[in-house]
Amino acid sequence: MRVPVEWISEYVDIQAPIDELADLLTMAGLEVEEIQAISPDDLARSGGVPDSRDARVMLTKVTPNRGDWLSMIGVAREIAANTGWKFKLPEPQVEGAGADVAGQIKISIADPDLCNRYVGMVIRGVQIKESPTWLKNRLVMAGMRPINNIVDITNYVMLELGQPLHAFDYDLVQGHEIIVRRAKEGEKITSIDQAERELRPDTLVIADAGRAVAIAGVMGGFESEVTHTTTNILLESANFDAVSIRRTSKVLGLVTESSYRFERGVDPEIAALAAPRAAELMAELAGGEIASGMVDVYPGKKEPKKIVVRPERVDALLGEHIDPAAAVSHLIALQIPAEFLDGKIVATAPSFRSDIAIEVDIIEEIARIHGYENILETLPSFPLQGKDSDAGLFVEELRQAMMAAGMQEVLTHSVVDPVSVELSGYGEKILPLKNPLSEDVSRMRPMLAPNLLQVITRNQAVGAKDISIFEIGKVYRRTDTGGIYEYRSAAGAMVGSQWASAWSINRDTLAADFFLTKGALIGALTRIGVKNITVEPAEHPLLHPTRSARVLVDGEEIGILGEASPEAREKLDLRGRPCVFEFDVEKLMGLVPVTVGYKQLPRFPAIHRHIGVVLKRDLPYVDVLGNIRQSGGEIIEGVELLDVYTGSQVGADEKSFTLSLVFRSPERTLTDDEVNGVLESVKTRLASTFEASFRG
Amino acid sequence: MFFGTAGGLGNWALCYLRGWKAHARAGSWSLPQVSSDMAEFEAITSLEAEAAGKVAASGSIKELDDLDVEFLGRKGKVTLLLRSISEQPADQRPAFGGRVNLAKNNIAAMIVDRRESLGTGESKARLVAEAIDVTMPGRFYDVGRPHVLVETMAQIKRIFIGLGYEIVESPEIEEYRYNFEALNYPEEHPAMDEQMSFYITDKNLLRTQTTAVQKRIMDQRKPPLRICTLGKCFRYEAVDATHGHTFHQVDCFAVDEHITMADLKGTLAQFCHEMFGPDTRVRFRPDFFPFVEPGVEIAASIGGGRWLELGGAGMIHPNVLAACGIDSNKYSGFAFGLGIDRTPMIKHGIDDLRLFMENDLRFLRQF
Repeated sequence: MRVPVEWISEYVDIQAPIDELADLLTMAGLEVEEIQAISPDDLARSGGVPDSRDARVMLTKVTPNRGDWLSMIGVAREIAANTGWKFKLPEPQVEGAGADVAGQIKISIADPDLCNRYVGMVIRGVQIKESPTWLKNRLVMAGMRPINNIVDITNYVMLELGQPLHAFDYDLVQGHEIIVRRAKEGEKITSIDQAERELRPDTLVIADAGRAVAIAGVMGGFESEVTHTTTNILLESANFDAVSIRRTSKVLGLVTESSYRFERGVDPEIAALAAPRAAELMAELAGGEIASGMVDVYPGKKEPKKIVVRPERVDALLGEHIDPAAAVSHLIALQIPAEFLDGKIVATAPSFRSDIAIEVDIIEEIARIHGYENILETLPSFPLQGKDSDAGLFVEELRQAMMAAGMQEVLTHSVVDPVSVELSGYGEKILPLKNPLSEDVSRMRPMLAPNLLQVITRNQAVGAKDISIFEIGKVYRRTDTGGIYEYRSAAGAMVGSQWASAWSINRDTLAADFFLTKGALIGALTRIGVKNITVEPAEHPLLHPTRSARVLVDGEEIGILGEASPEAREKLDLRGRPCVFEFDVEKLMGLVPVTVGYKQLPRFPAIHRHIGVVLKRDLPYVDVLGNIRQSGGEIIEGVELLDVYTGSQVGADEKSFTLSLVFRSPERTLTDDEVNGVLESVKTRLASTFEASFRG
Repeated sequence: MFFGTAGGLGNWALCYLRGWKAHARAGSWSLPQVSSDMAEFEAITSLEAEAAGKVAASGSIKELDDLDVEFLGRKGKVTLLLRSISEQPADQRPAFGGRVNLAKNNIAAMIVDRRESLGTGESKARLVAEAIDVTMPGRFYDVGRPHVLVETMAQIKRIFIGLGYEIVESPEIEEYRYNFEALNYPEEHPAMDEQMSFYITDKNLLRTQTTAVQKRIMDQRKPPLRICTLGKCFRYEAVDATHGHTFHQVDCFAVDEHITMADLKGTLAQFCHEMFGPDTRVRFRPDFFPFVEPGVEIAASIGGGRWLELGGAGMIHPNVLAACGIDSNKYSGFAFGLGIDRTPMIKHGIDDLRLFMENDLRFLRQF
């Protein structure tokens, strides 16, 4: 809220420089975000008239619980409570000269659940004109535009006391009757902004004998508004239900100074002060004659609530002793009536503090005035063992292993665009947002890999060629039964050379391809203790159909691995042929052995043999490997692929593997003859199973 | 055995050898005097002198190898001299034998020494020829680095684990009731304006605050509790340099008998000391969050009289405890939620929040 310094000086005797005052309010919870000095030009431009008064304005940020701070007296009251400076409330002097108002208007509240109180007054014979300079300037500095003296006075009193007011043209209110009721089915109203609005049956309206004349607490009606021909005023000073006003404001998309205040709670007691205060000003500034008395329908009147506060509870919650007498004086400073009785503090929640209902609310007020800077710094005394979650520990290990495998960690958005999501092939399982900010931010990611590919695109666009990245994060899907499912996934993506520097060596020899990506994945998984990893051909919508695989651990599928599909490369504008992998971290967690067994170091020497074996080109390596291990028996310790050859030296549908075989016995030193014998049987078996031939 | 007292003589020879080497080091090639109790034999002395001369004059390992054969070989000069033992008078034969053996050791030592000094010179030349330019860049496979924001979260976790907190997991797609209802948000309250949400269904939304974890835990477990969770949060906000629709939070809460606001302040002070340095101070300012009472905004002093707003905190509202079946007369608790994104911004002077999730490698590799 905009708080002109000159204005609040009317209610509190300010005895400190304005910046000190701003700090004081900020530390009391009413944050002063800025102190503005309004220039004469700005004042004039907004309808004010420059004069010699203080033109500084404090811009405050009001928390949603403190509707009482949305008025000049509310701010003044807070200043007084924190300083002890003298506070005074306006005391309107109303001379009810005219006939009793009771005979001039009839007011009824048909829906008292939504209207706590309705105060009406009548002022006759007003002259509509411009407001005086002081009033216009205060309104302008507070951020409102002057219109005419009557409207300006309703706004002025709202800013001053926090009570939204409305002035009807008395002669346009049919039957001089006010009925506060819910709107009828299909009922319409033209509001003062001249928009015709259809009302919902749960919207509270102010109606006269024939129609709705105002949307209660939000905006007045065009047909009964004050114009330059108006002479008689029906003044409304009412209190409406906060939730109802908030709903109406949201449904109509209309946020007004009035609705903003009602949503945050208006003091029901102030209605009977605001009406005479406005009437007094109307008499003074518009020459009106105030009808005697006011009509006050007050179905929602509540007895002030007594709150019992245990001093030991104050101490227990704040962590230090506060003398009950001091606590009582803090409360009284805040205009919260309180006394210390039979070992308890008994406080009464004032009507202007709708946020105070229970003991802790009072404790907060005591603490606020006591000062948080005076609260000690201690630590909870009970001993507890701190620990990470199982998932957190696992993810941290995995993260370190991914980095060790050469990948840079990235962090991407969970809410993404439809293009990348569609590439994942999850179709109906994708979760869209009901209310996206824009199409670009409209879907929950079902996978991480498309995000990583987009990171590659963005980096390629600024000249990066060699990229190797990973992310561990949540992905989200609809389950088969329509539920919502979120779990942790991990993904990596690579393109370009993985050598940061490799002068005189062809860096492209280690450019990322399927196998380098597979190596990084297997390397990272092995590092965290994953065993029995297998990779077998499988298609995936994101991947190249003949360069893609699924990854299994102990025979259970955990994820995918492969080259990005040509479609993905085109749609995401990728250069080169990036490769990706992605796996389900939570599934993997359950497959990592808890304990690692120790294998004795070999005691006898190994014997190495190379073989060149020519095979059908479509025969998977893993089949060859299995065959060798089976026929080689226990003394085959390892098989390493040294080279793959296709070309003129072999048939068109053939390939040649150069393999290094390692033989070793745990019990003895093997002899050449023994190894040669096994090697022969390996070859024989390869020949008979795969029609293999041998080179070299 | 040729010498009855081979052991003793061996030891003696060793002493002699050491003496000789000491002379060599002093720059003299002359032989030390043989102790007086050993008779002198002209032939042996001159052979030693000859060997000394030739060894000193030798210029390569090859020449030394030849000298080794010439003097110490199976048909070498020392061997031949020893065979002449029969020409010596019978009573001098043992002394002669001992003396030849000593000469053999002496010559062997000379050759070893010379070999050492020659070798050093030769390998030096070879090493010089092998020189490389150590200022040329290293060849290396790129190392992976952590993302600065994820690393900050890991650091925060470590701090709170150190303070006795248990890290728990909590979903990002949250239920309305955990995100709002359980946190004492009244229906249609203006406090919701600060928590504009993305919805998946009417009941499910992207959590706007990690505080949503509270009821999930307190429904399952009873005090004493010291719980921490952290991760992504989402709010319906347009993106600019200091705001995003996605941000990161850490939430902690502690519930037990006798938990006080002083404990809250002390805990946050401890966190700030670890995170920003031991001189950092914590400031509480009254603020409003429906799930705490009293509620405060937390700020940390970050030098130059500036305060960094870290987030919100307070004593857990009795309504929140009651909704979890915890007696607020017996137990009290504090809770706080801190924004994470601004921490590395302050530490590294980063001026644009969007950099964190744009993942430009030129940015990420700076950390």
